[in-house]
Amino acid sequence: MIKGTLGKTANTVILLIAVLVLNFAMIHVAPGDPVEALVGEMGGATTEQIAELRAQFGLDQPLYVQIGKYLWNVAQGDLGYSYYYDQPVTSLILDRIGPTLLLVTTALFSAIVIGTVLGVFSAQRRNSLLSHLVTVLSLAGFSAPVFWIGIMLILLLSVAIPILPISGMTSSEVPEGTFWYILDVAHHLVLPALTLGLIYLAFYSRLSRASMIEVLQTDYVRTARAKGLPRRMVIYKHALRNAVLPVVTFAGLQFGQVISGAVLVETVFAWPGLGTLAFDSILRRDTTTLLGILFFSALMVVVMNILTDIVYRRIDPRIKTA
Amino acid sequence: MSAPLLSVRDLEISFRLGTEETAVVRDLSFDLGEGETLGIVGESGCGKSITALSLLGLVPNPPGRVSAGQILFQGQDLVGASEEQLNRIRGNEISMVFQEPMTSLNPVYTVGEQIAETARVHFGSSRAEAWDRAIEMLKLVGIPSPEQRAHNFPHQLSGGMRQRVMIAIALVCEPKILIADEPTTALDVTVQAQIFDLFRELQDKIGAAIILITHDIGVVAQMTNRVMVMYAGRKIEEGPVAGFIRDPRHPYTRGLISCIPRLSMSPSDMPDPLFEIPGVVPAPRELGAPGCAFAPRCPHAMQRCRVQDPALSRIGEGRAVACWLEEEVAA
Repeated sequence: MIKGTLGKTANTVILLIAVLVLNFAMIHVAPGDPVEALVGEMGGATTEQIAELRAQFGLDQPLYVQIGKYLWNVAQGDLGYSYYYDQPVTSLILDRIGPTLLLVTTALFSAIVIGTVLGVFSAQRRNSLLSHLVTVLSLAGFSAPVFWIGIMLILLLSVAIPILPISGMTSSEVPEGTFWYILDVAHHLVLPALTLGLIYLAFYSRLSRASMIEVLQTDYVRTARAKGLPRRMVIYKHALRNAVLPVVTFAGLQFGQVISGAVLVETVFAWPGLGTLAFDSILRRDTTTLLGILFFSALMVVVMNILTDIVYRRIDPRIKTA
Repeated sequence: MSAPLLSVRDLEISFRLGTEETAVVRDLSFDLGEGETLGIVGESGCGKSITALSLLGLVPNPPGRVSAGQILFQGQDLVGASEEQLNRIRGNEISMVFQEPMTSLNPVYTVGEQIAETARVHFGSSRAEAWDRAIEMLKLVGIPSPEQRAHNFPHQLSGGMRQRVMIAIALVCEPKILIADEPTTALDVTVQAQIFDLFRELQDKIGAAIILITHDIGVVAQMTNRVMVMYAGRKIEEGPVAGFIRDPRHPYTRGLISCIPRLSMSPSDMPDPLFEIPGVVPAPRELGAPGCAFAPRCPHAMQRCRVQDPALSRIGEGRAVACWLEEEVAA
């Protein structure tokens, strides 16, 4: 058990280093660097000035030295300094990570819960109207691109029927820290979370429907019925717990996808999270910030996978080691 | 004679295949007395298992349903009974042990819980009482150190142990009828003998009637009082077990008994070639054709067999057979 945990930790560290190195190298290969962007905003500079700036940022050194230094700093908890925002990257990210986590977990969690409920219900009445509706909706959810759904939702729920705000996370007139502030954030959260979560809602309703249909045909569900257990016990105690196993597996795997989806959704809805920050730093060649965000995203995915593992072991006693 | 514990009358079970509905079990009637052991014999696909499921109202629906007849348990007709009524009987008055011990237990709950919940649902026992009862049952079915085993999950037990757990679940409410559907098919021969010993021992203790479904004639000879042979969804022969083994009347029954391989004792003997009944059980789609369903495979088939279906006729004390040959003999 301890050996397994140690091995896992070692794997995680190696994985994170690989992510850092790979990202660093990829950004290096892309045209443009922070100095060019900075010079562009300053309105031009002499070659000497540019060379001086490059030396100041350490960009004149060979790539492996740059990567080595960066890794060493990260190991000490220092993600570097963003010259564009004039702040340490760590504090920049910590400012923005809250809204992103709020958006991503709301979207994913509601997709899982609502999707599972829909799937479980439609699995029991396979030829009902609800069941067909779930199938059609999930197909539509699968096929439509996220940004298009976002725009359509804005048109429907903010323009045609103006009940939801189009962008941002808060209204300026609501004071922070009050009960109304929480409601206000929730109000702003609906559209982006819906846009981000819809495809996963579609996915989980299909997945749990298929899984539930399969489980309902197993021998142990027949045993449960033969024991004379009431229907709700057969469904919610014996079938559901087995049927959610694939849902948990996929939720863990897809967390990374949801984060990358968040970049798009945050940009569309001007949600002040990591996604918007990432988008801006790409435009501004703010590589330090971008690298920091990528590192944090990888970290979140790793943490989420560990959490999934723990949940999975709690649900399924057959998984004990490794 | 008092009314039997269970009386099945003209049972018909139909399955919808595509647009057509076919009866896979037809005109099936039999009785089961208290404490009696009835064997139901036949090849796979003869309708044995589906008949067993129908006794608990568990015929998968759709596509299947009980389309005619009565299943009278202590005078109450289980055909058309509500789910609530059936749930009071399932696992409590009539319980069932299935063929597949490896997959019949829920992998995510401990075996103790799976026994205990049955007691909780039917007796309204508290958690602690039900758990104690579960341990008692595990002890009864011969599982060593039951206090520890109760905390085990099914995957931690062998096939034989799991089948013992299934038997514990089936017997926890001391049912009047235990249906065992090929309970040892998936187990080793040595374990099979243990399980059947256990059945006999528990039958003495609890006094339940047993319906034993099997294709193993040897098991029938050892375990049952009375035998019913099914072919293509119908009962074709029935009688006390002794007469059945000594003097089988239906060609199909004779075929089944001849299929038992014999060990040759002296080394110089060449082993007898294995006997087989040529052909296969008709598929559900082929049911309902005129004539005896066994005629295409029967070594004694006559012209009449192919056009007219023989009815079940009594041929002695408690015996009946559905074959035209009997009439020839009688005439």
